[in-house]
Amino acid sequence: MLAMATRLSITMLKLCCLLLLSGASSTLPASETSAPDPRDLIRAAMEHWRGVTSYSEMTMVIHRSDWERSFSMQAWTEGDKLSLVRVTEPKRDAGNGTLVKDQNMWTFSPKINRVLKVPSSMMNQSWMGSDFSNKDISKSTDIIDQYDHRLLKTETVEDHVRYTIESIPHEEAAVVWGKEVVVIRDDFVMLRQEFWDQDDVLVKEMESTELREMDGRIIAARMRMQKLENPGEWTEMTVDAIDFDIELGSNVFTLSNLRNPRQ
Amino acid sequence: MARFSVHFKTILTLSWRNLWRNRRRTAIMLGAISVGVWAMIFMTALMRGMVDDMLNQGIRNLPGHVQIQHPEFLDDPNVVNSIDEAQGDLLAALKDDGTRVWANRIRVPAVIASERESRGVNLVGIEPLSEAEITGLPGQIAAGRFLESNDDKGLVIGAKLAERLETRLGKRVVVMSQDPDNNIAERGFRVVGIYRAELAAQEEFNVYAARATLQKLLKIEGRVSQIVLVDDDYRDVEALYQRVAEAAPEGVEVKPWYEIDTYLAVMFNMMDGFVLVWVVIIFLALSFGLVNTLVMAVFERIREIGLIQALGMRPGLIVYQILLESLLLLLIGLFIGNLLALITIKPLEDGLDVSIVAEGMAMMGAGSVIYPNLSLYDVMLANVVVILLGILTSILPAWRASQLDPVRALNTH
Repeated sequence: MLAMATRLSITMLKLCCLLLLSGASSTLPASETSAPDPRDLIRAAMEHWRGVTSYSEMTMVIHRSDWERSFSMQAWTEGDKLSLVRVTEPKRDAGNGTLVKDQNMWTFSPKINRVLKVPSSMMNQSWMGSDFSNKDISKSTDIIDQYDHRLLKTETVEDHVRYTIESIPHEEAAVVWGKEVVVIRDDFVMLRQEFWDQDDVLVKEMESTELREMDGRIIAARMRMQKLENPGEWTEMTVDAIDFDIELGSNVFTLSNLRNPRQ
Repeated sequence: MARFSVHFKTILTLSWRNLWRNRRRTAIMLGAISVGVWAMIFMTALMRGMVDDMLNQGIRNLPGHVQIQHPEFLDDPNVVNSIDEAQGDLLAALKDDGTRVWANRIRVPAVIASERESRGVNLVGIEPLSEAEITGLPGQIAAGRFLESNDDKGLVIGAKLAERLETRLGKRVVVMSQDPDNNIAERGFRVVGIYRAELAAQEEFNVYAARATLQKLLKIEGRVSQIVLVDDDYRDVEALYQRVAEAAPEGVEVKPWYEIDTYLAVMFNMMDGFVLVWVVIIFLALSFGLVNTLVMAVFERIREIGLIQALGMRPGLIVYQILLESLLLLLIGLFIGNLLALITIKPLEDGLDVSIVAEGMAMMGAGSVIYPNLSLYDVMLANVVVILLGILTSILPAWRASQLDPVRALNTH
């Protein structure tokens, strides 16, 4: 249950980041004519949602060949360091929450009525076989500094410029991937993120399957993460409602709030 | 004295001839003694070899003959329970001539991850040069190289682990652990070497990185989990232990191997007792045959014994004669048995391959090759036990023979 909540929150964190990222701005830092520096592109995108707060309600569906599960949850974020996720549905998982502060993570489960700090050994585990893995998800901003970026391709599709960026992790970066490939639209919607292994085999990919305008911004409202080794198995996140730039009290991202919800 | 030597010669002749009066019975008894003695020595040598192997491997895995560490480290190998690297008095004591070799070591639980898998492992930070003499690392490097310096940036993992992680030489993996403040400490490492160990469980569990590299990763510069020392012989580490214990600073714990792993210590201490029990058990089986042989020999000679008694031989000499007969039998049997044991053990000294039962042996912590260990002590023990107890069991039939009434004995048909 705890592992589940953990994984859930990491997933949520990442998604929140992506959502914020995609909805943050519609202007490019670099001029339209010359190709932007890919590192700046990612950094600028990240910085647009950094310091921004959000509250969202989402649904996550884990699909397998013989079963499917769905969760509803609420999430609060502030910048890239703070996030809080709480499960609301189904009933038996309701109340499970996770708090992330910097790189530290705590989970709360009402069934045992305990707040636990998640040890590093659990950071790498898979939550109920969900296709979201932890590492690269919980620390979304690492991609700026721990990777070397290269702009692979610039193309114009449906009135938008799409940048395809290849990011190769540094030698000592805590990243298992050989490279990641990111497709960002000029309004900062991340359309695609691919994870390649060190033999240049695509391991998994995340794709934005539905873009929608919510709270005044265009965001990826539906995203699907899929491991290529298991076609027919995927995890999908849908944003049901989201509010940006809301006022959050100073007590939101605290352990006591994790245990006793006060929003 | 002169009388004694005359007696002795006569008695010896009598005993020797009596021994061969029933050749078949004596030959069978000799065979039994020889096989018994052979079994005592041969099996003991095998057991010794096996236990030595287990002890050596066990101590190598601890590792070291003496360890210095935080008092709580053994119960909780947490990065918090660390000690300062060897310095000051301790360093001086370690550099003293007696210690063959010593090394700083870091040992923390960690998680290692590749693109597809992750596993919990025992992350060991070592000083490659000293480590070679303590744990025999790198052991067998299947691919790549071993760590080369204290700040080597590479990682050496076992073949089995590489297989589980679906990674291989030259690939990057991520190692995750915690620093003393409970923050996540993680870093990418390139796999520079793949080792093979005798036990697959080790291959899967132990991951080696350089000491300084790990200190940086875990944010414990200047501190280590353990300082391990190796003496010349694990049987005699008392002097080293005392010297180091005196020089060690406050707040650290110095322990010899037999206190760290009491299972190994018990095994080590029990071995001598076990050998004795084994020898005695085989002897007990033998003794029935021996007593029976002697009782029969006496029974067949009742009239003869009555006659020589009537002729004036004292009962003491009759005991003497029968005991001598038994001793001769035992000595010849021992000679053949020892020879047999020597002949069978010598060719096996390069190792007896028991890889058919390797799995079971691994469970016991022993390798799949047994190197029989023929120790002088065990051979002496077997021989002494056989002679002493052999004579002891012969006393009863001999004494009964001496107590025969000459008149009745002469009239027995």
